[in-house]
Amino acid sequence: MMNSKAFSFCTDIGYLSVNKHDEQLCGDHVELVEQDENSIVFVLADGLGSGVKASILSTLTSKIISTMMANNMSVEDCVATMAATLPVCEVRKVAYSTFTIIRVVNNKEAEIIQYDNPQVIMLRDGKNFDYPKTINQIDGKTIYISKVQLKLDDTFITTSDGAIYAGVGSSLNFGWQRDNIIEFMEGIYDREFSAKALATLLLDECVRLYGGSPGDDTTVGVIKIREREQVNLMIGPPSDPKDLNKMMTLFFSKEGKHIVCGGTTSTLTGQFLGKPVIPCLDYISPDIPPMATIEGVDIVTEGVITISKVLDYAKDYLGENKLYDDWTILQDGASCIARMLFEDATDINFYVGRAVNAAHQNPNLPITFNIKMQLVDELSKCLRQMGKKIKVSYF
Amino acid sequence: MKNISICVGSSCHLKGSYKIIELAKDYIANHNIGDKVNLGAAFCLGRCTDGVTIKIDDEIICGVNENNFQQIFDEKVLACLG
Repeated sequence: MMNSKAFSFCTDIGYLSVNKHDEQLCGDHVELVEQDENSIVFVLADGLGSGVKASILSTLTSKIISTMMANNMSVEDCVATMAATLPVCEVRKVAYSTFTIIRVVNNKEAEIIQYDNPQVIMLRDGKNFDYPKTINQIDGKTIYISKVQLKLDDTFITTSDGAIYAGVGSSLNFGWQRDNIIEFMEGIYDREFSAKALATLLLDECVRLYGGSPGDDTTVGVIKIREREQVNLMIGPPSDPKDLNKMMTLFFSKEGKHIVCGGTTSTLTGQFLGKPVIPCLDYISPDIPPMATIEGVDIVTEGVITISKVLDYAKDYLGENKLYDDWTILQDGASCIARMLFEDATDINFYVGRAVNAAHQNPNLPITFNIKMQLVDELSKCLRQMGKKIKVSYF
Repeated sequence: MKNISICVGSSCHLKGSYKIIELAKDYIANHNIGDKVNLGAAFCLGRCTDGVTIKIDDEIICGVNENNFQQIFDEKVLACLG
């Protein structure tokens, strides 16, 4: 019973970094490898020093470890390979990068391997959970190894030491200790928050404590155990009108939430379901067409303009994350879709109709068939980068 | 009672549905005909090449813009309300 339940778990992963002030490169590096559908290896490495040297050390370290671990090599082998490969620092005469490895196996067990980074914080039901650790000496290095059986909502927070030094010399005299971070995370914890949201909140707090000018590269990575949630999105009618029934039947037979995009597509959906399409008159953002409602569909929006805005949000979310406060709050079609796809969904099925809208093949309109196909392609790429499982079916 | 729908499909949106909806709301308020007019949106009226498209009862009117808005609403809405 417990086992079959565990298989519906998945990992939600979010990480981001800020550079030490005036540095172009980050000396911390995160590497994520999907070992198989239900197993991942997450590595956070912090290279000695800062700038280009640190960046090379941490990139090499995390790449080597994640690749080797994903191929089931032992920790001993990983550490030995790393020691043999890393370039030795001219100044300090050592080759050194700290690392934290979190390996989630079959979405049932987490193996945590830590070397000299701040200890991973684990929250269970939103409260600090003191997981057991064993101390191992490998190649003269003290390495902590833990194994934890996973429960729903278990949250692992890993940081580089930049996070615990936050505030040194400016707002806090002794920096920000691990206990303070635990207190902060317990305080803001909400089981609805995504891993990326939790990581962003913690990193923002560190930057704030640094007075906006970080004294060290600072990285926060969060892994959260959640249940799978499927979302289905249909856009465009099928190229052959005879396939309409098939497309609609397949789409609505899928479990989970349903999003319908496009004026014509919505009208056809209304006919298929035998329900009226009720468009809303009010523009929430002048640049995004209003939504509509159809009983039995979770979100109904216009097509290309809305989706191209969702794509803008997706690219930003994966990059600078400057528009987060827009799409997490606004109630327009693009923001509603962004929330459902980026935050709620773990598995997304696209149903893309290839019908060419004759009315759009007009030189006066900036909408073409190719744009629609390109939007779906780019959006699914972004969503894959967010760690979602994507399936695209064309009709 | 007049039923007016303004298309908010992709093409009409790009041609200015937002502005036409604002104008229509103001027009209805200024002429104090809110109880005689039912203003709504439509999801693509199928005349995408010649937006903004609006529908007044069963009549579809294409190419509505800021310049001809007043004339169209005077003729097709206000005049018909008597």
